[in-house]
Amino acid sequence: MAIECLVLGAGQEVGKSCVVVSMNGKRIMFDCGMDMAYHDHRRHPDFSRLSQSGDFDAALTCIVITHFHLDHIGALPYFTEVCGYRGPIYMTYPTKALAPAMLEDYRKVMVERRGEEEQFTSEHIVECMKKVIAVDLKQTVQVDKELQIRAYYAGHVLGAAMFYAKVGDTGIVYTGDYNMTPDRHLGAAQIDRLQLDLLITESTYATTIRDSKYSREREFLKAVHNCVAGGGKVLIPTFALGRAQELCILLEDYWERVNLKVPIYFSSGLTMQANTYYQMLISWTSQKVKETYSTRNAFDFKHVLNFDRSMIAAPGPCVLFATPGWISGGFSLEVFKQWSPSEMNLVTLPGYCAAGTIGHKLMSGKPTKIDLDKDTQLDVRCQIHQLSFSPHTDAKGIMDLVKFLSPKHVILVHGEKPKMATLKGRIYSELGIQCDDPANNETVCIPSTHYVKAGASNTFIRSSLNPNFKFSRCSSEDESDSCLKDRKSMPWLQVTDERTVEGILVEEKSKKAKVANQDELLLMLGEEKHEVQFAYCCPINIGNLEETKSKDLTSSNNVPCISDMCSWLRMLYIKLSDQLSGGNVQDFGEHIQVESVHVSICQKDRCPYRISDSSQNKSEAVFVCCTWSVADEKLAWKIISILENFNSGTY
Amino acid sequence: MAQHVLSTCEQPLSSLSANLPEEPLSTKTLASFISLIIVPSTPEATISSIFETLTRSLQLSRDPVVLHQTLKLLSDIASHRPNLSRLVSDSVRTHSPLSSESTRLAAESLDVLASIAERDGTLVELDDRSFVSLCFGPSVSIRSWLLRNAERFSIGPYVLLTLFLGFTKDPYPYVRKISLDGLVGLSKAGDIEDPGMIQGCYCRAVELLRDMEDCVRSAAVRAVSAWGLILVASNPEAKLHWSDDLFVKLCSMGRDMSMEVRVEAFDALGKIQMVSEHILLQTLSKRVLGITKEMRSLGQCPAEQFEILASSMAGVLVHGLEDEFYEVRKSACHSFRTLTIISAEFAGKALDLLMDVLNDDSIFVRLQALETMLYMATFGHLKVQGTHMHMFLGTLTDSNMIIRSSTRKILKLVKLPNIELFRLFVDGLIESLEKHPQDEAGIFSALFHIGRNHGKFVVSIINKVSEEVEPASEGKLGFDSARVAALLVLAISAPLSHKQLACSIPPRIFSYAVTLLGRISAALTDVMSQDALLTYLTRCSRSTRFSATEFNFREADPGLHVIDIPNSTSDEINDTVGTPLQQEEEHGTSKLQSWTMMETMEVAAPLVGYQLEAHHEVMEAMNLILSKVKVIWPLILSGFTNEVLRTLRSFKEELAAFTSESLGSGGAVAFTLQYLRVMKQLAKVWEHFLPAKKLCSSGIGELDLVLGKLDIGLRELRRRFTGLSLEQELQILELILLSCTLRLCKVEICCHFASLKKLSATLSDVDSILKSGYIEPSNFVSEVGKLLCLIGTSGSGTSCSPFLFKELLKHFSLKQFVLCGRLDQVRAELVVPDNDSENPLHFVSRLPVGIPCKITLHNIPSENKLWLRMTTDDESTQFVFLDLNLFGSSAEVREFTYVVPFYRTPNAISFALRVCLGMECFFEDVSCVKRYGGPERELTYLCQEKEVYLSMII
Repeated sequence: MAIECLVLGAGQEVGKSCVVVSMNGKRIMFDCGMDMAYHDHRRHPDFSRLSQSGDFDAALTCIVITHFHLDHIGALPYFTEVCGYRGPIYMTYPTKALAPAMLEDYRKVMVERRGEEEQFTSEHIVECMKKVIAVDLKQTVQVDKELQIRAYYAGHVLGAAMFYAKVGDTGIVYTGDYNMTPDRHLGAAQIDRLQLDLLITESTYATTIRDSKYSREREFLKAVHNCVAGGGKVLIPTFALGRAQELCILLEDYWERVNLKVPIYFSSGLTMQANTYYQMLISWTSQKVKETYSTRNAFDFKHVLNFDRSMIAAPGPCVLFATPGWISGGFSLEVFKQWSPSEMNLVTLPGYCAAGTIGHKLMSGKPTKIDLDKDTQLDVRCQIHQLSFSPHTDAKGIMDLVKFLSPKHVILVHGEKPKMATLKGRIYSELGIQCDDPANNETVCIPSTHYVKAGASNTFIRSSLNPNFKFSRCSSEDESDSCLKDRKSMPWLQVTDERTVEGILVEEKSKKAKVANQDELLLMLGEEKHEVQFAYCCPINIGNLEETKSKDLTSSNNVPCISDMCSWLRMLYIKLSDQLSGGNVQDFGEHIQVESVHVSICQKDRCPYRISDSSQNKSEAVFVCCTWSVADEKLAWKIISILENFNSGTY
Repeated sequence: MAQHVLSTCEQPLSSLSANLPEEPLSTKTLASFISLIIVPSTPEATISSIFETLTRSLQLSRDPVVLHQTLKLLSDIASHRPNLSRLVSDSVRTHSPLSSESTRLAAESLDVLASIAERDGTLVELDDRSFVSLCFGPSVSIRSWLLRNAERFSIGPYVLLTLFLGFTKDPYPYVRKISLDGLVGLSKAGDIEDPGMIQGCYCRAVELLRDMEDCVRSAAVRAVSAWGLILVASNPEAKLHWSDDLFVKLCSMGRDMSMEVRVEAFDALGKIQMVSEHILLQTLSKRVLGITKEMRSLGQCPAEQFEILASSMAGVLVHGLEDEFYEVRKSACHSFRTLTIISAEFAGKALDLLMDVLNDDSIFVRLQALETMLYMATFGHLKVQGTHMHMFLGTLTDSNMIIRSSTRKILKLVKLPNIELFRLFVDGLIESLEKHPQDEAGIFSALFHIGRNHGKFVVSIINKVSEEVEPASEGKLGFDSARVAALLVLAISAPLSHKQLACSIPPRIFSYAVTLLGRISAALTDVMSQDALLTYLTRCSRSTRFSATEFNFREADPGLHVIDIPNSTSDEINDTVGTPLQQEEEHGTSKLQSWTMMETMEVAAPLVGYQLEAHHEVMEAMNLILSKVKVIWPLILSGFTNEVLRTLRSFKEELAAFTSESLGSGGAVAFTLQYLRVMKQLAKVWEHFLPAKKLCSSGIGELDLVLGKLDIGLRELRRRFTGLSLEQELQILELILLSCTLRLCKVEICCHFASLKKLSATLSDVDSILKSGYIEPSNFVSEVGKLLCLIGTSGSGTSCSPFLFKELLKHFSLKQFVLCGRLDQVRAELVVPDNDSENPLHFVSRLPVGIPCKITLHNIPSENKLWLRMTTDDESTQFVFLDLNLFGSSAEVREFTYVVPFYRTPNAISFALRVCLGMECFFEDVSCVKRYGGPERELTYLCQEKEVYLSMII
């Protein structure tokens, strides 16, 4: 059994996201995004790789969309309405609600502004959305008999989700874009501990590690406060959803605390419309917003007013949120033209601006003049503050998620190639998890889990009901994670419960597998018990032994002992008890017993276990025969080495 | 009824005990016993026989259901009849199925025994062997019950330890959790001293940090913390090593997905007393630090483990501070308290983060951050830098009072590196004082303390701004300016820091400060008494050479201790200073000291169902009275004035039953009362306009007097109630129109023009209400409108004769006033604490004096202008403006204390002031009253005048 993962988009790049996963006969497409940087066929994933015949319904079990950003959903109407996919599509409720507006907006820009041939029509969007099945967080959806999917909260944007998919025993998670730290309006990604074979995660910031968001917030508030306190106007260009609401919550909170009376404006319809969505979708927002909801909807902004064009030239300080975010046109550009020539004013820029936009020009250095078009030039004297708020997780967040989920395999998508390679290395070296970063149109095959159902015998069930724990001491060297621990430290207590250890899996041909108790195994199989014994016969130099004996005993007894077996054994016993401080050495007269190690003087001339050593004088050597069972191998060799040390003369 | 039950129960009982003793009891019979046991009147004999039956049943029965019920009943007997509890206990002990195969029944009988024993305050004696064997039974629920209740039985600690340790391996998560909790419990008892065991417990708990279940992980964090701390304490030679180990283990839980686990982890981190500095610093940076890398090169741990270790610690505390859940953030803030003591470098970096936390959206977290800073300041680890100032100063002017006062507490302890920061703080405090004058005492105290800690800075600041403090050219002191007062407080603190500095502050500054004695001493109750302060100031103002050591000031820790002034200390100061005169004032001063600024949180009282019902009843009663008023209106017109007045009085008496704060409808009652008063005045006025009445009997001024009272009454009716509907307001306005008309009817009335102006102003109010409410104007209103129109066109008001107005009166008819909805009375309470003719406030003649007023405002919106009017016996009046925006958010009830300055203290031994709180009316004509420095418009008084007694300090 294997999982096949075909990356149709966002492989070693940040662009159209589209990953097709086949497992146990099911084929799921995660995200169906478009790449806005291209204007030809490359903007869409190469769907032909799914099916040569174009019968996508047969090729795919379902499509899962993580959130409403165009690089995750942009190609969906094209795929369903133009390519003709008619199977089920899953996304969360907010995504379903917000996606049509985003798609329609995009379509308009494409067709009306750039005059391009349209990839899909408004009707297509409507039709496409009709096929969508909306899901809730943590709701397990049975797509068909075998395939289950479940959405988990991902942060990032309103309605973003990570998806867990399970077929049989194989489970995977596809994250889409996510954020591991909360912001003012959205929470942090949240997922259960799952048994996973594969985790497909975004890696936009594969090497970045971000500082605390608090310092970014403080800088922003300080800049805004200083500007309005000096009578200036603040222009915050944003897109309608997400950042605008986060910053607005931040400002409202601050206004309340510092008791500022400066008005905050929202530019126009779309943003106000977006606020309405937020007001309705409270359950998808951060903990704080949810908590205050009983008293006040955090998106009912108290200080926020509507703005109209006539107010652009009005005197006095104010804060204005205007779209679009990159000052690429529209209202934010109109306001920017009016406000940028004054030093008192402030313009904030989002963390990322597309090349060619005014925002991008402002970000690269601090220009004093900007060419709006061929004829007009704009004096820019206002202050510029760059925001580095990002809804994506940083490298630490990715590592934290991977560590928490501990999947058997990780695949990185949606990132830049060199950075992904670094992260890949870290995941392997720090967490010991296999990791891949396939390029577009590559397929990765990884093994998947397959469980065998087994019955359990009554004895086993009974035995596992009752606790049966044992304590043992084990050396701390065995413990892998504590390196701060002094390696010489004493052995520590270890607890084991043998109920599960006792079980034995019996798999017979043409029979169902069964777990049995170890006691009943022989009975089941109708076999007799065999034990494996090891034996070793080694010579000991008598001279040495005598010496030792006299050295040991002269003080107590001047009469030299008769050199017979008993006294030799006695010697050995003393020696062993001396050397094996922790062991339980017992003298039975005929032999010495340590656990299962049986030590006796060998009287045979030819012992089959004897390793003949011609260098030793036979008359001066005594042979000692040791036998032991497999469990005490270590101990046995230790004893033998002690015995053999008699020969070396060091004692 | 009870008798019936008894008899029906006793029947089976007697039959059982007599005839069939060998038969096991049926469940039905057992059920019937319950009522017998519970009813207290059941005779003792019956209970005993039930007890015997049950005991027998315990011996004979093998049916688990019956046994279960039997045990339950025995337990009931023991709890209801304490005298039998010993017998029950013995019986259960001897006959119980403890040894039987059913562990459930064994556990139940143990429960019975334990609860009986607990009532006697003892433990059940149970041998370890049977307890252990019960635990090893197959039932999971019994096992967890036994483990959870283990401490109720006297089991040896080592046996328990073995059990708990063993069961941490149980496949059932709840058993694991309970075992861990049991281990935590054992750690508290401190019975375990074997180092191997301690280490064993710790390591076992560490293993469970990686459990799949949230509840087990959070229990494991507690256990790791508990045993880790014991381990650290029991290994004096390897203390740091184990402490580091514990710290790192706990850090690894700071990024858990479960909120509970994270909270536990940060709580536990806060308990650690000792950690290596490099580890601490790593927790503040999400990147792996160079210093940590160095540790690796020292070969302290293998490379691959090092990576994991460092990444599990990296930035954990930062993550904690930016957690989604405020519980976690708060706990993380708290954990900084102990950790910042460990390392100064860590404290510096932590402060950067904590400053940012002051932006948090949760007030709990912000407060916790401030508290942690206070803690750091106490231990001298708070190094404030320029970058922190924006945030720090922001909290000084925060809209939340608790935040402001917490910030000031920190300021009192902080040590500032340079004068720029010091100036910023002083400016911040002054700004805060201007914005929030109710914080005066706290701000003065903070200024005094930071001044004392930074004497040099004070001197240089004061010398720069000293001209601000000087009296203006006309000789008037600007002490009512908050800034000047604050600078004075700052200035007088300087001599206490270094003795040689005193000469640098001009002595006259100290004499200026004497004028603010009351206010300053109220703020400095933690440092010195008023007498001591006065002596100190007089000394400083007289001589430039002065030694601070002469004064035995308390070096109290202002932030951490509750203000507490023992009398002996104040005596001590007096003795040292040696001014015998002040001994006489002792009584008065200590009274003043005991009074401290009250900072009361607003508490919104929830409306409960029955209150609403009661409210409804009150409203009905009020409306009934109001309808009766309408009925008597024709009597007024007909001139039955005396009868009318008597009836109105009776209505007032009816109202008296409701006068106390009748469950939230106090407003309605007060309104009705006021309405009755207006009616009374109206009736009296009307008397003068009756055609038949000859006015020879009454004096010429009487009508003016009554009209004046009517005006005041109407003004109060209009201004002092909120929640009036448009129609209700219209009715009141009509009454005002009527009173104006009445004025104008009078030939001899002097201020004709003003009355006319008021009439037209009122009419425009009426018009606007009519427009916004789409209400048809009444006949009277439209007639008034017509007449005003006529006067307007005719050019001047003089042409219209009173006759025309008299005609208007015919059109007026009183409508019935109907109360509905909630009416709230705008009112205030003003108390000067601890002041009466026996305990006067002290003042210095010709110098201002502060009068501490405890003010409670009800239902006053912030936009209203409030004034305090202070009148002396010789009728000289002073007004003080009260800025409502400074006293908390607008709410139904505002309570605060405000020190009102009174400037014109007479040259007298003692005098009395009458203080009253009034609200300025917007609608009244501006030109009506004009007092210098006082309100521009007429005031509506909101409370009774209060007498304040003052006496001179001799």
